[in-house]
Amino acid sequence: MIVVDQLGVRFGAHQAVRDVSFRVAAGESYGLVGESGSGKSTVLRALVGLVAAWSGQMSVGGEALGPHRNRAFYRQVQMVFQDPYGSLHPRQTIDRQLGEPLAIHGLPDRERLKLRALEEVGLGADFRFRFPHQLSGGQRQRVAIARAIITRPRVLLLDEPTSALDVSIQAEILNLLRTLQARLGLTFILVSHDLAVVGHMCDRIGVMREGTLIHEAAPDDLANAAISTGIDA
Amino acid sequence: MAAPLVTVEDLHVTFRTPRGAVEAVRGISWTMGREKLGVVGESGSGKSVSVRALLGLVRPPGEVRAARLMLDSTDLRTLSPRQWQDVRGSRITMVMQDPRFSLNPVMPVGVQIAEALRAHRRVSRREAQQRTLDVLASVHIRDPARVFAAYPHELSGGMGQRAMIAMMLIAEPELLIADEPTSALDGSVGAQVLSVMDELVQRRGMGLILISHDLDLVARFCDRVLIMYRGRIVETLAATDLAQARHPYTQALLACRPRLGERRAALPVMDRAALEALTPE
Amino acid sequence: MNSSLTAWLLAPAPASRTQAQLGRVYLGLRRFFSNPLTALGVTVVLAVVALAVLAPLVAPQDPLAQNLPARLQPPSAGHWLGTDELGRDMWSRIAYGARPTLLIVALVAVIVGPLGLAVGIVAGFTGGLLDRVLMRLTDMFMAFPQLVLALALAAALGAGLANAVIAIAVTSWPPYARLARSETLALRNSDFIAAIRIQGASRLRMLLRHVLPLCLPSMLVRLSLDMAGIILIAAGLGFLGLGTQPPTPEWGAMVASGRDMIVDQWWVSTLPGVAIFVTSLGLNLIGDGLRDLLDPRRS
Repeated sequence: MIVVDQLGVRFGAHQAVRDVSFRVAAGESYGLVGESGSGKSTVLRALVGLVAAWSGQMSVGGEALGPHRNRAFYRQVQMVFQDPYGSLHPRQTIDRQLGEPLAIHGLPDRERLKLRALEEVGLGADFRFRFPHQLSGGQRQRVAIARAIITRPRVLLLDEPTSALDVSIQAEILNLLRTLQARLGLTFILVSHDLAVVGHMCDRIGVMREGTLIHEAAPDDLANAAISTGIDA
Repeated sequence: MAAPLVTVEDLHVTFRTPRGAVEAVRGISWTMGREKLGVVGESGSGKSVSVRALLGLVRPPGEVRAARLMLDSTDLRTLSPRQWQDVRGSRITMVMQDPRFSLNPVMPVGVQIAEALRAHRRVSRREAQQRTLDVLASVHIRDPARVFAAYPHELSGGMGQRAMIAMMLIAEPELLIADEPTSALDGSVGAQVLSVMDELVQRRGMGLILISHDLDLVARFCDRVLIMYRGRIVETLAATDLAQARHPYTQALLACRPRLGERRAALPVMDRAALEALTPE
Repeated sequence: MNSSLTAWLLAPAPASRTQAQLGRVYLGLRRFFSNPLTALGVTVVLAVVALAVLAPLVAPQDPLAQNLPARLQPPSAGHWLGTDELGRDMWSRIAYGARPTLLIVALVAVIVGPLGLAVGIVAGFTGGLLDRVLMRLTDMFMAFPQLVLALALAAALGAGLANAVIAIAVTSWPPYARLARSETLALRNSDFIAAIRIQGASRLRMLLRHVLPLCLPSMLVRLSLDMAGIILIAAGLGFLGLGTQPPTPEWGAMVASGRDMIVDQWWVSTLPGVAIFVTSLGLNLIGDGLRDLLDPRRS
């Protein structure tokens, strides 16, 4: 489903990502773990088109990606960001923010889709016309997830989706993501610095350090191996 | 048994907002000696606010009421601002989460530390400088002279946090409070910072209060743990007894973490309604 | 206010976007007016606007009617604020004089706000060469002291209200561009803008629907604070004979015409000056109130 081959990203003089290659099968959950500065978020951002200059090859669903993405791509690939306090527009109602992707892609039947999305992430219709500052961190993250799945993408990129949340809320959100993946047949790439989170959620894990992928394994193998990468366990 | 270092009895902290009074801390009591005490809770539990009451840092519209609030034999409830200056930074100090925001960005680190010392002890400038270099070395900073002259933004996260610890310990306080000291740091760096704190606290026979949302971290590092939920202490236990926790909240907190090597179908989730019934307003 | 209406506005689960936004507006207004100084400012400005609009009804006499035998009369029952050097009723002239003043302020605001916003947002979002060109253009205009440039322009363009508006607008817009640009730069990197971008939104959509609404509050605050100063510049132009021409009453010109007699017949200069001061103060208070309301740093 997703193929990344020798990806390189450079910001000015700094090589943030160097020669990263991995594949993710359809319906699979792939984890990218590493400390801050390891480049894991940059890989995700390059995939989704938020990074201007990258080298190497990437393809999603068999189609090679160029320097820019188009609207059709964004129907297939969506992203959830780390900071629940920053990923929602502060002055728009939840309803409006859920409606934006529907309007951009020209999808009909918006009432129903919005209500469906809210219900799928465990928020009632009550939340429709509230503003983000009236919601807790966990609720905001649910809205961000609802916004990401409302157009029924095939791939969901998750950039530290629970790092800013309390551990009990994290459990709820991780369960939600698992449920959604099963129900909607999503392919995940989950980025986190927390090995336990990635180990719980993912089928395979790539460990990054200083811009390169140093190790790739299934969660059980990683648990058993001596981890000298200095990441949380 | 030696007299406790800190005594808190029936502490209440209330914030008067336009929408009514919010009770952030609802009558908690605890004591500690010269040990490492962890205070664990999620956001909204009142853990930070309750500890800041010990430093007199709860400002209006917050109100602090307590039957007893003592550091050794000093009654912290009745201190004047002048007297607080002698306690804060000198007998009780606090290390916060992000050294980038808690260190003055326009002063070299060493100058700030020396100044912190001179605010509380009568020492000459030269002696303050020497003691600063000493304390920087004691937090395992390899090149104290370089760090002395550096500005906060020039230091890495871990080094900045150790410099912060140095600054907080130079006046040789009795109690160190650390409020999420490693949340902004990567795993290995955070572990290093904690071990530095541990070493210094043991060596000086100080008390340490570690506030964190991370139960595992606190269990590894502290002697005893207080679990707070919705402004109350729901459980107190020795760190080694954590697995035998009895209160449903603590149990839920322990159970809901993902664990490497265990791929459960779904993580257990807190039954908030039941927990709220157990800890009424 | 009707309590069920209030309950509807403040409902925790609004049933429609309109309800949610009206509720927010209501809370904003409540906070805005909770400050007595702000309420005072609004009252003052509304009074001046009412004065300008209702001048024909409020002014007892024709502001242009000269009555030389009754010139330079102090305030009295017949002439509440006295008469000027040509025997015209001061109160009527001040009432009618509110019109050009407010007209200039309103026109400048309407030109300067949108223009500065547009330039700033485009420059901030696009970056690159366009950003640099637009900012150098802005710098060029900002390099001159505002009053001096306005005077020069007004003198070059000739007297008259329209030219005064142009002169002031041309010298006032740059700070708005700067402000909008710096806000846009900050917003450009935010996650929620990135989230919209990865929905496939076009640049125009992002700018108009997502960035612009966030740049409006600071622009409004700046505008209201600036208006107080704009009045003074307009009065200055009038004082120098560059605004509306006599015999049309204009506060600045009225101050000028009385300056030779300021000691003995103080009312001719002072009263229009008080009118300028009061209006400027009112706008200032509104601006302060808006800033307190809209400053995101406050909770």
